Amino acid sequence: MRFLKVFLMIGFAFGQSPEPKPDRIVNILAERFTYNPSKITVKQGQLVEFVLTSDDTDHGFKITAAGIDVAIPQQGMGAVRVRFIAKEKGTFPFECSRACGAGHQLMRGALVVQ
Amino acid sequence: MVQFCQLALAICFCLGTTLLAQTPSDVERRVADLEEQLAALKAELKKEPLPPTVAGLDRALQPVSITGDYQTSATGETRLPIAGYMDFHVNKERGDSFSPDFHRFVLLFGHSFSDRIKFWSELELEHALVEGGEETGEIALEQAYLDFFVKPYFNLRAGMVLTPMGIVNERHEPPSYNGVERPFVETTIIPTTWRELGFGFTGDLGRGFRYRTYLTSSLDASRFDAEGGISHGKASGVDASLRNPARVGRLEFVGVRRLTLGTSFYSGHAGYKTPGINPRVNITEFDGRYSVRRFDLRGLFAHTWVTRTDELNHRIEQQTGVNPNTASQMRGYYLESAFHLFHRRARNDFIAFTRYERYNTQRAMPKGYVALPQFDRSSWIMGLTYKPNADVAIKFDYNFNRNRSSVVQAVDGINLGIGWWF
Repeated sequence: MRFLKVFLMIGFAFGQSPEPKPDRIVNILAERFTYNPSKITVKQGQLVEFVLTSDDTDHGFKITAAGIDVAIPQQGMGAVRVRFIAKEKGTFPFECSRACGAGHQLMRGALVVQ
Repeated sequence: MVQFCQLALAICFCLGTTLLAQTPSDVERRVADLEEQLAALKAELKKEPLPPTVAGLDRALQPVSITGDYQTSATGETRLPIAGYMDFHVNKERGDSFSPDFHRFVLLFGHSFSDRIKFWSELELEHALVEGGEETGEIALEQAYLDFFVKPYFNLRAGMVLTPMGIVNERHEPPSYNGVERPFVETTIIPTTWRELGFGFTGDLGRGFRYRTYLTSSLDASRFDAEGGISHGKASGVDASLRNPARVGRLEFVGVRRLTLGTSFYSGHAGYKTPGINPRVNITEFDGRYSVRRFDLRGLFAHTWVTRTDELNHRIEQQTGVNPNTASQMRGYYLESAFHLFHRRARNDFIAFTRYERYNTQRAMPKGYVALPQFDRSSWIMGLTYKPNADVAIKFDYNFNRNRSSVVQAVDGINLGIGWWF
C-alpha cells in the first residue's frame, strides 16, 4: 500500500495543474521608509499577488486584514510573493513589521478594495 | 531513473496479481476508495504552506499563499527584539594623528499596544563614554513617541520627535548614506540629529504624497554662534520650552519608484532664554534623492533666517562677555552622485561617490557686523562604500575642505568607518 501511495504521489506531482493565475500582480518595492506604491487599489473578488522586494535592509509586510506578517528579504536576497483574495470592500492598512530604522513607523500603506 | 522504473514495475505486478484474485465488485469498491484517497492527496499537494496565524480564518482578505524567499528562523538571520545601529570611525585631519571614535551606539525599541497605538524610541550613546560633568560623550533620547493611527491620511504623534527636515535627520542609519560623517550642510544648517518635544500629525495623502507637521519645543537662541549657526541651539528635550511652540512641516513625494522629493519649513521663536529678545527662526529646505540603473543622485538646499540678531548678539555679549556674531541668514546646499560597481540586485554593494557641499553660516549679517570669510565653506568629499551585506557599510572618504579666508585655513581630512544596522 505504501508503494502505491508513493507511486501515485509521484504521478500527481508531475501531473498536477499549475497555480491559478492571479487577477492582479502588484510589485511593491520597500525601502527606508516607504512602500512603493503605498496605496493600491484592487477589485472585490480578485485574486491578488503582491511581489515584495527591498532596496535596502529587510523589512516586514504586515496586513492585519489578511492575517499575513512576512519578512521581505534585504536587497539582493530575492522576493516574497503574497497571494490573497480580496473578499470584502474596504481600506486595509499594511505596515512594516520589522524594525528598519529611525522612521520605521512611517512605513505604512493602504490596500483599497473596491 | 532505473530505480523509479523498478518501483513502478513492482507496483504494477503487485496490483495486477491482487486484482486478478478479486471479484469485479471488490475491484470497483477498491477503485472507488483509491479515487477518494487520490482526491485527498491531490488537494493536499495543491496547498502552499501558510503560517499558522493566517490559516483557517474567515477574513476580509482571504490569504491564499506565501511563497518566494521569505525567511524562516531556521535558515535566516536572527532578529532580536531590539534594533539598532553603530558607527565606528577613525578620523584624521592634515597635521593630526589618526583619531578613533566609537561615534554612535544606538538602540531602538518599539511596542505595539494595538494596531492603532504604537510606541517607538531611539536611545543613543555617543563617543562611547559619559562621565559626570565632562563633555566626553552623551546619552541622548533621540526619539520616544506614541503614534495613534486613525486613517492613512491622518494620524497623531506625540513625544520626542525627529524634526522632519532634510534627508539625514530622519534617515540616518549608517548604511543609508555615503561618507563616514554626515554631510556638513545637514549638521550645521540643519542641526542633525534634530529632535524636539512636540506633537502633531502624519499621513499619506495618496498619489505618492505624504506629510508630517508638528508643534515642537523651540530653539534656544542663546546658544547660536558664528561657526555652527543655529546648530547648538537645539533643545533636544532638555530644559525645553513650549511657551512659543515652533511649527515644522514636511511634504514628501514618493510616488515614483526610487525617487523622493521633499520640502520642509520651520518657523518659531527662540528667545526663551534671552528675556526681552525673542528672535524668530525660519528655515526653508528642499531635497531630493533619485536612483536610476547604477547611479544614485541626491541633493539638498537649506536657507535659514534669524530675526533681531543685532540685539541678540549684544545681549549675549552682555551676559557672557563674548559676542557670538550670529548671522541673520545662513545657507547651504550639497549635491552627491554615486555609482554602484555591482548590479543593484547583487548581495554585495560597492559604491564610489563624490559630494560637493557649500555652506555659509554668515550668509548675511545684521547691521554693523561683518561676515567672517572662514565661515563661508565648501568641501569636496570623495569616497568608497563597501557593503558586504545591505546592513553593513565599510566606508572611506577624503575631504577637500576650503573656505574664503586667507588667514584661517581649512584643513583636509581622511575618514575611515564601519557602520552597521541590525
